[in-house]
Amino acid sequence: MRGRLPALGSIAAVAVLIAVLPFTLSSYNVSLVAQVGIFFVAVLGLNILTGYSGQISIGHGAFMAIGGYTSAVMSRDHHTNLIVTMLMAFAICFVLGLLVGLPALRLSGAYLALATFALAISVPQLPLQWSTFLGGTGGVQSHTTVSDRWIYGAAWSCSAILFLLAWLILRGRVGRAFRAVRDSEIAATASGIELSLYKTLAFGISAAYAGVAGVLFVMATNGFAQPTEFGIILSLQILIGAAVAGLGSLWGILAGAAFVGLLPQVSTSVPVIGSDHGRDVVFGLMVVLVMLALPDGFAGLLARLRALVRA
Amino acid sequence: MAVNRKKLGALLCALAVGIAVASTAAASHSGTPGVTKKQIVIGGTFPYTGGASLYKTIPTAEQAYFAYVNAKGGVNGRTIKDITKDDAYNPAQTVPAVQQLVEQDHVFAIVGSLGTAPGLATWGYLNQNKVPQVLLATGDAYWGNCVHHACDGSTKPWTTGWQPDYPGEAKLYAKYILKTKPSAKIGVLYQNDAYGKNYLTGLKTGLGSNKGQIVDAEPYNFGDSAQVVGAHVGALEAHGADTVVIFATPTASIQALATLAILHWSPLTILNNVSANRLFMLAAAQNGASLNGVVSTTYIQSQTATPSTKGMKLAKKIIDSVGSASLSQDFAAGDNNLVYGLAVGYTFVDALKHAGQNPTRASFMKALRNLDETKNPFIYPGMSVQTSKKRTFPMEQLILEKWAGGGTGDWGTFGKIASGLK
Repeated sequence: MRGRLPALGSIAAVAVLIAVLPFTLSSYNVSLVAQVGIFFVAVLGLNILTGYSGQISIGHGAFMAIGGYTSAVMSRDHHTNLIVTMLMAFAICFVLGLLVGLPALRLSGAYLALATFALAISVPQLPLQWSTFLGGTGGVQSHTTVSDRWIYGAAWSCSAILFLLAWLILRGRVGRAFRAVRDSEIAATASGIELSLYKTLAFGISAAYAGVAGVLFVMATNGFAQPTEFGIILSLQILIGAAVAGLGSLWGILAGAAFVGLLPQVSTSVPVIGSDHGRDVVFGLMVVLVMLALPDGFAGLLARLRALVRA
Repeated sequence: MAVNRKKLGALLCALAVGIAVASTAAASHSGTPGVTKKQIVIGGTFPYTGGASLYKTIPTAEQAYFAYVNAKGGVNGRTIKDITKDDAYNPAQTVPAVQQLVEQDHVFAIVGSLGTAPGLATWGYLNQNKVPQVLLATGDAYWGNCVHHACDGSTKPWTTGWQPDYPGEAKLYAKYILKTKPSAKIGVLYQNDAYGKNYLTGLKTGLGSNKGQIVDAEPYNFGDSAQVVGAHVGALEAHGADTVVIFATPTASIQALATLAILHWSPLTILNNVSANRLFMLAAAQNGASLNGVVSTTYIQSQTATPSTKGMKLAKKIIDSVGSASLSQDFAAGDNNLVYGLAVGYTFVDALKHAGQNPTRASFMKALRNLDETKNPFIYPGMSVQTSKKRTFPMEQLILEKWAGGGTGDWGTFGKIASGLK
């Protein structure tokens, strides 16, 4: 128990900080920190897949799109409560994630990455094909829109619940199986772990997380779902977030989410030679720098600090 | 445990500092946001990066016009500061950018922002907060429903467009076809979205009982390859069309015009205004398109066809004063978006002048709803920018134009100014 105390202490401190922030920040800053919460959910989900079960995905933006559109369409057509649409997005994306996990059984490494990349490219095209139902490029406007503080509360409540869920899943038998599959499929099979079950399960859970993040993402865009929002960049952002956080650990996720959630906004008007809008340049450079300095992400940094304190 | 207490202490300190910083940031402002004795701050979002970044010369021209006005003393003693942000044409980026402009930069109004989807994603927020969202760079029917429907007190009183609406423009093409080629077999290439469909609907309305003359309408998707766009053009020929109407965005329109040449097919070709920038026409010519006889419309002056008008001389002076060689070059080659930006800048300044000595957001909107601009030097001579209770689209007039002179040629206008577009 003694070993857990620092961890519990820091979680409690972060929780208190997050609970207090909305009462002190301006509405715009609340929306920024809410954005971090949204990425927290998505990055957490991808980390379960990539960090723990060893399967890479460059297509999680697609699941966010499915979640976001589910919510926007249900709200538009049936005025469904947004919390209910979150649960729906979770369930739908879980099932779709399992299905996507099936072909993933035969693919690994770069091939799996390319397959998921195809997903990220193709899903945002669907609203153009079914434009009557999904609004085409005109987008879908949810019936209900919510305040920044509402989104903030929802995003961080989801973060807390899903973090706890991830911790519960990963600390026990399932988590051990995921890690065994990641480290050596042959050894895992020899130990009686059914590869297909655990690999698809990891995809399902991870996609469900992305679905919830998608609902929050659309709410934060004033309830407006539109194909451009879910471009390939979004999928890359989630992957970058997971890498910055540190794969295979839950402790760096806050930093990873803050990195992808805040940096593009904060650097939006940084002047870079030849352009007044150097956001993408700054973002790219920061990714390179962080990965050079912290090859294991922030989780690796935390682990090193912990070792230092113990020594 | 000692370590934990230290950690906790450090965290609490950080928390306290964070709160202190945040509270100062949230300090409230009094009076009309963005307006001081010496300055008025406005903002806008534009695609400086990404697939729609061809349009980024528009805000540059607007800012150049404001610099010109500022050098002459500004408006009622106030200089105009225009803060623009990149949204890459992505609504998910427009929302935080607009929120930042309103809540952190405390802008007076959002002026000239580009794109239908970015506009739709933010008009709820802006209207709720009573922030003017005006002179938007999109011709979708959304931005001036009052033009075509009963004006029953729109639910978005803080939003206006600027340019003529797309369905109205398409109606004008229908009229032209019926007059010059009554038995035309019409093939339409349109972008498969609200933008393209808006145009197609307008064309059908304009053709009325003759809409059966549309023998084929081919939808392409934004971002389709040249091969795909080319195949759609081939399909129009296969359906026996002798008149081709292109409702596209620039990349696809260039591909379509080039395909016509590859097919050695020269139907009567009509091109929507958005794609008819001379720069894009020259690009099409470089890809082999023979442009002579292509018909389109315009509502602003051409710096290449009529360079010696007072307005175009002023335009050249303002654009050159930015001091960017590539910008001046684009202007000389006929980038009409620059003139567009200047014209929108003029309308903003005009409305601001009429909003009173100490403008409020409400007085500014009132001025915008009662525009009577006959002297905008950048729009087509004889046209005017006008708004009233019955009319919320500031620009509503168009004139037909035809291309002559091939790969080094230009547009020449013909016929009468069409107004009303009803």
